[in-house]
Amino acid sequence: MRRTKTIAAAVVSLSLLAAACTSATKKATSSSAANNPSGSVSTQPGSTAKASHKQGGTVTIVNVQGQTWSCQFNPFNPAVYAESLGFVYEPLVFVNLLNNAAETPMLASSYTWGPDKKSITFTIRDGVKWSDGQPFSADDVAFTFNLMKRVPATDLYSLWTGAGLQTVTATGNKVLLSFAKPAQPYFWYFADQVGIVPQHIWTTAAVAAHPDTWADANPVGTGPFKVSPCGPNNIQYVANPNYWQAGKPYIQKIVYPGYLDNGPGNRDLASGKGQWGSQFIPNIKQFYLSKSPDNHTWSPPVTNVEIFPNLDPSHPQTSKLAVRQAISMAIDRNKVSQIGEDGQQPPANQTGIILPTFNMYYDASAVAAAGYDKPNVDKAKSLMASAGYSPSNPLKLTIITITGYTDWDASLAVIKQNLASIGIDLTVQDLAQQTFNSRLYTGDFDLAYYGEPTSGPSPYYELRQILYSKNTAPIGKSASTNYERYINPAVDALFDQYPSADSATQVSLIKQIGQAMLNDVPIIPTTESVDWFQYNTKDIAGWPTPADPYAQPAAFNFPDAGQVLLHLYSKSAQ
Amino acid sequence: MTGLLVDTSGRAATRRRGSGLTAAIRRSRKAQVGLVILLVFCIVAVVPGLFTSVRHPNALQFTPRLGPSGEHWLGTTSLGQDIWAQLVYGTRQSLVIAVVAGLFATVLSVLVGVTAAYLGGLPDDVLSMITSVFLVIPTFPLIIIFATYAGKSTLIVVLIVLVVTGWSYGANQMRAQMLSLRNREFLESARVRGERRTYIIFAEALPTMTSLIVAIFLGAALYSLLTAAGLQFIGLGDPDSSSWGTMLYWSESQSALQTGMPLWSIAPGLCVALLGVSFALINYAFDEISNPALRPVRRRHVKRARVRNT
Amino acid sequence: MRYVVRRLGFFALTLWVALTLNFFIPRFMPGNPLDALRARTHDRLSPAALEQMLTSYGFKPHQNIFVQYLEYLRNMFTGHWGISIGATLGEPVSTIVWQALPWTLGLVGVTTVLAFLLGSLIGVVAAWRRGGRLDSVLPPVFVVTSALPYFWVGLMLILVFSVWTHGWLPSDFNYDPDLLPEFSLGFIENVLKHAVLPAATILIASIGAWILTMRNNMITTLAEDYVRMGRAKGLSNSRIMTDYAARNAMLPNLSGFAMSLGFVITGSILVEYVFNYPGLGYQLYNAVQNTDYPLMQALFMLFTVAVLVALLVCDFAIAWLDPRVRATGSR
Repeated sequence: MRRTKTIAAAVVSLSLLAAACTSATKKATSSSAANNPSGSVSTQPGSTAKASHKQGGTVTIVNVQGQTWSCQFNPFNPAVYAESLGFVYEPLVFVNLLNNAAETPMLASSYTWGPDKKSITFTIRDGVKWSDGQPFSADDVAFTFNLMKRVPATDLYSLWTGAGLQTVTATGNKVLLSFAKPAQPYFWYFADQVGIVPQHIWTTAAVAAHPDTWADANPVGTGPFKVSPCGPNNIQYVANPNYWQAGKPYIQKIVYPGYLDNGPGNRDLASGKGQWGSQFIPNIKQFYLSKSPDNHTWSPPVTNVEIFPNLDPSHPQTSKLAVRQAISMAIDRNKVSQIGEDGQQPPANQTGIILPTFNMYYDASAVAAAGYDKPNVDKAKSLMASAGYSPSNPLKLTIITITGYTDWDASLAVIKQNLASIGIDLTVQDLAQQTFNSRLYTGDFDLAYYGEPTSGPSPYYELRQILYSKNTAPIGKSASTNYERYINPAVDALFDQYPSADSATQVSLIKQIGQAMLNDVPIIPTTESVDWFQYNTKDIAGWPTPADPYAQPAAFNFPDAGQVLLHLYSKSAQ
Repeated sequence: MTGLLVDTSGRAATRRRGSGLTAAIRRSRKAQVGLVILLVFCIVAVVPGLFTSVRHPNALQFTPRLGPSGEHWLGTTSLGQDIWAQLVYGTRQSLVIAVVAGLFATVLSVLVGVTAAYLGGLPDDVLSMITSVFLVIPTFPLIIIFATYAGKSTLIVVLIVLVVTGWSYGANQMRAQMLSLRNREFLESARVRGERRTYIIFAEALPTMTSLIVAIFLGAALYSLLTAAGLQFIGLGDPDSSSWGTMLYWSESQSALQTGMPLWSIAPGLCVALLGVSFALINYAFDEISNPALRPVRRRHVKRARVRNT
Repeated sequence: MRYVVRRLGFFALTLWVALTLNFFIPRFMPGNPLDALRARTHDRLSPAALEQMLTSYGFKPHQNIFVQYLEYLRNMFTGHWGISIGATLGEPVSTIVWQALPWTLGLVGVTTVLAFLLGSLIGVVAAWRRGGRLDSVLPPVFVVTSALPYFWVGLMLILVFSVWTHGWLPSDFNYDPDLLPEFSLGFIENVLKHAVLPAATILIASIGAWILTMRNNMITTLAEDYVRMGRAKGLSNSRIMTDYAARNAMLPNLSGFAMSLGFVITGSILVEYVFNYPGLGYQLYNAVQNTDYPLMQALFMLFTVAVLVALLVCDFAIAWLDPRVRATGSR
């Protein structure tokens, strides 16, 4: 069956080459992140919640891969790391994107920033063992980072190149990372996204030769689960008896079938055979929710899906501000969300700030003042008229999208209708992934429909990728993430100030960037991409909910999946 | 994909061109049914507006997910389009693909097959080799790869791909037939008369092979129809276009069968099947017409004399 | 002997052409492995890191093309098919292929041969009983089934036997994901249960053609003089049916079978797609979706080889059955 490719399958909470900043100074739940520049986290060992349930139970995950399992678990291989990070490998500090970057110390029990935030010292937790029984130490942490330097293909976050990491040294139970420039933006990556690997395994001859392509079929990590066994149709995880959080995980077994397509996956979710879903389910009310009162769904939005107009002067129509404003005002985002995404992706807004996840950065009055709070066909028509177009003299534009993303095709069908009413004759062009990518990167389009598969603990990450001029390139050359060729030195300056600003200033900076989005309309967000999440409460409890979003809930979020697994427990085992 | 195997053994080349053909068609029930179906589809393709009041079948203008009703005979899609209207308007593209690709493939088959057979010798060996290679190379994988690499699937790309992969089957058959004809007297006499080779081939030999050519065309049309539908079904067609295969693609990706909208999947598939069946029926009827041995045997009802029990 | 040599020569030549096509098509079309890998790694790695990754995976794009071609040929024959750069990034292509092969052979291979044999048998019987009830019902029914699209038959079977019966027969996969492959009765039963609907699809969609052509061939053959001679000689019906008629009627059918193997491959891809059956066809579909060049090339080569081998087997079967072929060395 056709796999509905949605951007969700690619939405992982990761980043790009771009610099990023974390505002890790917001209120935390289980650990306090101080507001002072030295930014130390005062925690006590084992500040993660104490084990309060009995162990037992099995969870079956439904997350369609479209492919049988390769039984590789290398945390440096982007195709497979979602099955090992969080389950088997753990980060230094868990940062929760959904709760204003609340932090939970994991392998690092605390950390201290150096002056100017150019260095950071992690205090490594005591008493942690690898799943093969060997002791874990700060040496393993230093080894992991130095491995990324030795083999650039494993440096997935460009820490040594883009972030300016200079040295990583371990002394006793502390690890010091030194950077060439303020590194707070990168905290999300090196503290939350990197999984620590065991030195004693990764220095063996077979692995050390090619750590980037090593299969790692029997991963040894500090995490709550071990792989046992893995076959092409299914990965089974069992609880790690050496896990450092006593009494955890409660769940003793995980079954993770390799679904080839949405059809069988959705059926298993509906019948209750699978309890943890990370799927786009069309017609979810009838197909899933109505099948049992224990079926629930909650999908938090994390990034935008947007129209990228081509701002380069070589494309005169789309570089006209009036045209872009008209497009943004004419699109009925609610309808796009309802019909295109089955109502499961909330409508986006012109500032690009994801709601409700990043509520505190959003200025509703500014949006209303600029006229983007609801569709305004008349104003859009007059804007088009000022550019010389009308329904009787329409502007012909082509929008490129990826073949197979049927929900995007459906969304574009709605958008096409919206734009037809204001005098834009939109042609939707479906391209094979390869062709689409190369045209997107090189700026060979009028309009492109796309969503960056990234996010971070604040809007800074996504907006910087899209708007920062260093992320773009002239037409014909490959741009890394700023495909629309937006160059605004004032906005660049705002991004540059962010890393060294304090939290209050950071919020104000983002709001100013949001205002630039309203003024210049460099991109036109349409819907908000979500972490697909369905859960069944018949036997399993402890799920993240809107009231208690302790982690990103999709099974493909890492290392959040590990956090979810540490909270889940089986009711029948109590 | 079913390859429609044409039985060459029965296709004796008749000397007379088409005489009695129309009468024979009228006699054969299968041909009638097939032709009627084909005719219906042709009419629908030419004047879709007669069959539905919807003018823009792909526009999202109705309430999504409605069941069949007086207003929407087959219900609506999950995007809000009338299924019956899409079906009606989709006829054109599906029929066009089948006929056009079938036609071009047939032309190519005839050219290559006849030329190879008539020229003989080295040209024959070379052309046969090319034909066999194209025949053997698995076409669907080639189509998939070609369609993907071409970047975007427009109608032209699909047509080219279908023709390139569909001609070789018929070429073999034409060649076999031509080979058996080569030494027939009427061709010999034409040669002796001093006619040009092209004249002999096209004016003398080909007309006697009309039934085979028609069969090849029908087979090629069926192949193109089914393959195009298959390609569109797995998403290698143009999702914006109006055709039965595209409807199947959308219904599949929206899990129509499982979410209570089976008609969205059943209807376009049924249409593809019906059109294909019409080709097959006509083809089969042709088989019977040209090979009398295959004609349906009527059971003779012998009246038994009543035997008096005296 | 000459016949054998000719067929083998044809085999080798066609294989070479297919391989060469396979090599050049990707290089002439847009896209390249570097871009594919960049998309695969979500744009996270620098170009230098990507190049390093590619080299680890065996790509040497800057080599002389002729050298690449020779290496490619050598690799194809020695089984060094490279490493997947698609969704299964890092997994050796040969592993993927060997895992999927038995399922395709088992499902598609067995069912196709079964359809052919069964169809031929039914065709023979139907032709023998000309004018009987079987013969009047058969042709229309099977003309219809022979024109049905494979995937539609599959969808209908799923609808009737899986959706409407709430899962009585499974409609996806080759076996239940939570079972481990082993030679136990339970596992085999599970595999068979999952194979019922896909096998039925292939049978229903393909058997019609065999029945009809066999029937037509038989009827034509039965009208031949030597059959009449056999009857005049007083041979038993079954003897005439098998030794005289069927054996000769089989020949065109067999060659037809060989030639339509290409269609069989097409059908298998669609069936595996509809039923999520992880065989070679499904892997090809995925490879194409994920622009996985190494996997695509290996699979395409395998499909070609499979068709060629089957063709060769059929040719030899025909030679064995038909003495004329052996005598003259050609058909």
